[in-house]
Amino acid sequence: MAEGHDTTAGKLEWLEELREQALHAGSEKAVAKRREEGRLLARERAEKLCDPGSFVELDRYVRHREVEFGMRDRRPYGDAVVTGYGTVFGRKIFIFSQDFTVFGGSLSEVFAEKICKVMDMAVKYGCPVIGINDSGGARIQEGVVSLAGYAEIFWRNVQASGVVPQISLVMGPCAGGAVYSPAMTDFIFMVEGSSYMFITGPDVVKTVTGEEVSFEELGGAATHASKSGVAQFTAANEDACLEDARYLLSFLPQSNAEQPAWSAPTDPVDREDPELDTLVPDSPNHPYDMHDVIRRVVDDGEFLEVSERWAENIVCGFARLGGHPVGIVGNQPRSLAGVLDIDASNKAARFVRTCDAFNVPLVTFVDVPGFLPGTAQEWGGIIRHGAKLLYAYCEATVPKLTVITRKAYGGAYDVMSSKHVRADFNFAWPTAEVAVMGPEGAVNIIYRDRPAEERPELIADYKERFANPYTAAERGYVDDVIEPRRTRPVLISALETTLTKAEPRPRRKHGNIPL
Amino acid sequence: MFDKVLVANRGEIAIRVFRTLRELGIGAVAVYSEGDHEALHVAYSDEAFLLGPTPAAESYLHVERILDAAQRAGAQAIHPGYGFLAENAGFARAVEEAGFVWIGPPPAAIELMGNKTAARTAMRNAGVPIIPGTTDPIGSVEELLGLGEEIGYPLLIKAAAGGGGKGMEVVEEPGDAERAFETAQRQGQSYFANPDVYVEKLIVDPRHVEVQVLADAHGNVIHLGERDCTIQRRHQKLVEETPSPAVSPELRERIGSIGVEAARACGYRSAGTIEGLLTRDGEYFFMEMNTRIQVEHTVTEMVTGLDLVCEQIRVALGEPLTLRQEDVRMSGHAIECRINAEDASRGFLPAPAPVTGYREPAGPGVRVDSGVAAGYEVSASYDPMIAKLIVHGVDREHARRRMLRALDEFWIEGPTTLIGFHKALLSHPCFVSGETCHGIVESEELAARAAELDGVVAQPTGASAATNGKVERVRTVEVDGRRFEVRLSEPEPEWRALAQRRRERVRAAGAGGAGHDAVVSPMQGTALSVRVSDGDEVEPGQVLCIVEAMKMENEVHAHRAGVVSQLSVEPGQPVSTGQVICLISSQS
Repeated sequence: MAEGHDTTAGKLEWLEELREQALHAGSEKAVAKRREEGRLLARERAEKLCDPGSFVELDRYVRHREVEFGMRDRRPYGDAVVTGYGTVFGRKIFIFSQDFTVFGGSLSEVFAEKICKVMDMAVKYGCPVIGINDSGGARIQEGVVSLAGYAEIFWRNVQASGVVPQISLVMGPCAGGAVYSPAMTDFIFMVEGSSYMFITGPDVVKTVTGEEVSFEELGGAATHASKSGVAQFTAANEDACLEDARYLLSFLPQSNAEQPAWSAPTDPVDREDPELDTLVPDSPNHPYDMHDVIRRVVDDGEFLEVSERWAENIVCGFARLGGHPVGIVGNQPRSLAGVLDIDASNKAARFVRTCDAFNVPLVTFVDVPGFLPGTAQEWGGIIRHGAKLLYAYCEATVPKLTVITRKAYGGAYDVMSSKHVRADFNFAWPTAEVAVMGPEGAVNIIYRDRPAEERPELIADYKERFANPYTAAERGYVDDVIEPRRTRPVLISALETTLTKAEPRPRRKHGNIPL
Repeated sequence: MFDKVLVANRGEIAIRVFRTLRELGIGAVAVYSEGDHEALHVAYSDEAFLLGPTPAAESYLHVERILDAAQRAGAQAIHPGYGFLAENAGFARAVEEAGFVWIGPPPAAIELMGNKTAARTAMRNAGVPIIPGTTDPIGSVEELLGLGEEIGYPLLIKAAAGGGGKGMEVVEEPGDAERAFETAQRQGQSYFANPDVYVEKLIVDPRHVEVQVLADAHGNVIHLGERDCTIQRRHQKLVEETPSPAVSPELRERIGSIGVEAARACGYRSAGTIEGLLTRDGEYFFMEMNTRIQVEHTVTEMVTGLDLVCEQIRVALGEPLTLRQEDVRMSGHAIECRINAEDASRGFLPAPAPVTGYREPAGPGVRVDSGVAAGYEVSASYDPMIAKLIVHGVDREHARRRMLRALDEFWIEGPTTLIGFHKALLSHPCFVSGETCHGIVESEELAARAAELDGVVAQPTGASAATNGKVERVRTVEVDGRRFEVRLSEPEPEWRALAQRRRERVRAAGAGGAGHDAVVSPMQGTALSVRVSDGDEVEPGQVLCIVEAMKMENEVHAHRAGVVSQLSVEPGQPVSTGQVICLISSQS
C-alpha cells in the first residue's frame, strides 16, 4: 500500500491507521445524528454491556466484496456490525452490535458472516450470545446474498436455541425478515421511543389494509410489551436496557450444560413472614396481589418480571431462593381473577420452557379459577394454547415446586404444576381450595333437582367438605399444608432437596408441542 | 410498709418499679396483655395477671380489669408508672375508692395540671412565670389571628389535654392558622377526647429545662435540681441530662424555687416535674407539670443517689421525706439516651421488628433500664422505646465519653434503632459544646452519619451484615498466639446493585404496570383521617390521608397531580406497609 510500511515501525503505524479507520467507519454526520438522538454507538453499546474494559473486538478488518452500484469504492473496515466477546460479572458472553452509522446498519454477506462467527463460537464454548439490533434491513445492493445471510443467522439461532442463552436488544429499527432472528431468541428487550419491530411498516399497512398507524403504535416498545407480547422487557433508555440485560444474565447459566450460578444469600433462608398469614382475604372473591406473595417469599424481595405488561393475569419472572435462581410463575388474582386465557397460556408456556431449557427450577404459585370461557377464547383456540402450558409443565424436568395459595379448580389445577404432571413438591396454604369447581357451581350440578331454598346449606356443606386442601392432601396430591408465613423456608428446603434431580427423557427427535 | 404492690404498666418502667419493690421487700405484682405473654416485666414479677387483648384499651388502660387484678392479688397499693393511666385522675380516684393506696399525687392535682389552661391560670395566680398566651381555650381561627397581632408570631397551638408532642401545632404566619387550628383540635379530640386548644407565644431556640420536685403529705416540698431535655424531635425527648449546661447554681436555686412554688400551689404530693422553657437570656417560663414519675427520672437518681420510686412509696405511706432541701447533694453529671426502635434516616419512623440479637453495655457508671431481650418483638402496639441508657461521670465531658463508650457496647440486632443517631449526635460539636442543637437533631447530615455509624457496631464474632454493597463478616484469628478480629468485607454479588437500580428506576418512572399510579402506605398503622375521595383532583404533595403508627401521625402525600381513584382506606382502618392507598392517574 502506501510507502513507509516496509519497516517494523511503519507496519505498526499502518495497523494503527487501519484500526483508526475501523473505529470511524461511520460518517461524522451519521455519528452526530445518533448522538443528537441520544443513542449510543454500536461499539459503545457492546462495551457498556460488558464488564468495564472486557470487550474484545473481532473481525474489525472485514470488508464487503460487492462491486455493483458503486460499492467498490465504499468499503469501510468492519462493515456495519461490531462483533466480539467480553464478560458480564466475569462470565464470558459473545456479542454482535449492528452499526446504523454504516450503510444504515444494513445486512451484507460479510455482516452475516461476522455474526455467524460469534454465534458459532458461543455455541462451541458454551456462552450466551447477545445481539444488539439496529438495522435498516437487507443490503439491497447485495440482493439474494443478503437474504442468504439472514437465513444463515436464523439457522444458527435455532441450532443455539436451548443450548446457550440468546438475548436480543432492539435499540433501533428491526423490520421485515430481520425480526425473525430476535423472534427466535430467548428474550427481547426494547428501548422505549427509539426502537420498533414489524414485518411490514406503516406505509405498506396503509396500502394493504387502509389502516393508518404510526411506527411507535405499530411496533414500538410499548406495543410489543403490552399488546403482542413480542418483547419481554422494555427500558426507558439504552443504559437501562443494557443494565437490565446484565441483570437477566445473572439468573441464567452459561449454557444448558451448566446450572445457574448460586450466590450467597443476604436474606436469611429461615426467614418467616407473618404478613403472609393475613394476605389472602377471607372472601374468595376479593383479589390480592400475587406480587406481594412472591416478593415476601424470594430473596430480598427481588423479582425480575418477564412480560409484566402482557397477559397480566399470569405473573412470570426470575428471582432467587436461598441464593439459587428460580423461575416463578403465579396466577394473578388481581387481573381477570387470575384466569387462564390464550395470552396467559402462551406467556407462561414459553417461560416454563425457557426455564426448563436452562436448568432454572420452577416455583409455581397457584390461585386459578379455571380457563376463561367465551367464543373469543374458544374460536381463538384456547384448547391449543392452553395445551401448550400443560405440555410445557409436563415436559419440564427441572425441579418443580408448587404452592397453592387459594383456588385450584378444574383442569387448570392439573395444568398449574400439579403433582400429576410430576411436580416435585406441592404445598398448599390452609386457604387452598382444590376442587373441580367452586362450591356454587358444584352444587348447581350435583344437586340440580333440589329446591333453591336448600342451596345455601348444600353450598356450605360442599365448602366444608371439599373447598379445602385436605381432600387433596389425603391422597398425597399435596405433600404438606403449611402456614403461609413458612413458605420461604419450606420452599428453600424443598428446592435444595431437588437440586440433584435427574430425570431421563424418552428417546425421540423432539416432542410435538401443539404450536 | 406494703406487702404487695401492683404496677399498672409494662416494659422497662414496670421492671424499674419492681426493682425498688424487691429492695424494700415488697411483693411485685405485674399485669399484662395477651401480646405480652413473654414480656420481661412479667417474668421479673412475683405474680402476674392477664388483663386482656393486646390493644391498650383492652388491657393497660382497662381500669376495672386492673383493679380486679389488684383485688385478686391482695395488693395494697398501685403504682402507675408513666404513660397509660399514670396521669388519669379518674383512675387515681378509682384506685383510692377501691381501697388501695395510690402511689402518686392527689387526684385533684392531676386534674388541675392535666388541664393546661387551668394549670396556667393557677400558676399565674401563684406568681409562677408563664409564657405569654391565652389561659382560656380559644374558640375560632379569628381569635387565633387576633392573638397573633397582639403577641406576635410564631405561635404555638396546644391541645388543652395534650402532651408528648401530640396536639401541638406551630403557626409561623397568619396563613397557617386555619390548618394548624384544625389539626390541633382534631388531635386533641382523637387522643384525649377534648378538642379545646390554647395558644401561646413560641419561644425561639429555647432550652427545655425541667425541675424534679418531691412533696410529702406534711407540707414538705423540695426540688432535686433540673434536667435538660432540649434534645427532642417533634417534641419527643431523645437525650436528657443533668445538670443543664446552661444552668448556674444561682439559676438552679431560682428555677428550683419556682418548681417548689408550683408544687405547693396545686397541693402536690409524691414525685413530680415542672417543665419549663429557658430562654437564651435566662428567663424561665412554666410550661406544664407532669404529675408522674418520668422516663428521665434516672439522671436525677444518678447525681443525687436517691431512689425516686422509693421516695414515692414512702410518701404514699404517709411518711415524711427522708431529706430536707439542704441535704440534697448533687455530684457529677448524668446523661440518658432513649434507645428507640426508630429509623433516624427516615424521619424517625417507628421500625418495629423482632429483636434477634441483644447485648447491653455495662461497666463503671453505666445503667440500662430496659424491657427487652433477644427474641422479643418490639410491637407496633406500644411505645417504640427499647431501652434507656444512662451514664454517670464526674463532669459533662466525662459522662459524654462514657456514653459514647456504652453506645459502642450496645448491640441490638433486628430493629433499626437510634444507637447510631446518638453516637452521631454526642460526637457533634454542637452537643460537645452544650448548645441546643436545634436544627441538627433532624438534619440529613446527622441522619447520614447515624446510618454510617450504625453499620460499624462492634458485632459479636461471626455476625454478618450487609452495608454499602459489601457483606461484612467478623472472624477471629490467631496469628503467632496473638488474637485479631478480622472484618471480612466481601463484595455483594454484582447483580444486586443492578437489581436495586432497576427497582429505583421502576419506582421513579412508574413503569411497573399497575404500580405507577399507586400511592402506597410507607408504614404499618391505622388510618386516622382520609382527606380525599374517589374522583378528587389533587396536587403533588397534597395530604391524602393520615396514618397513625405507634402514636405518631404521618401524612401520606400525593406523589403527582391527578385524579384519585380506588381509594382503599377508611378512617379507623388498619393499613399495612406497602398497601395501596389509592391510585392517582394523571389526566392526559
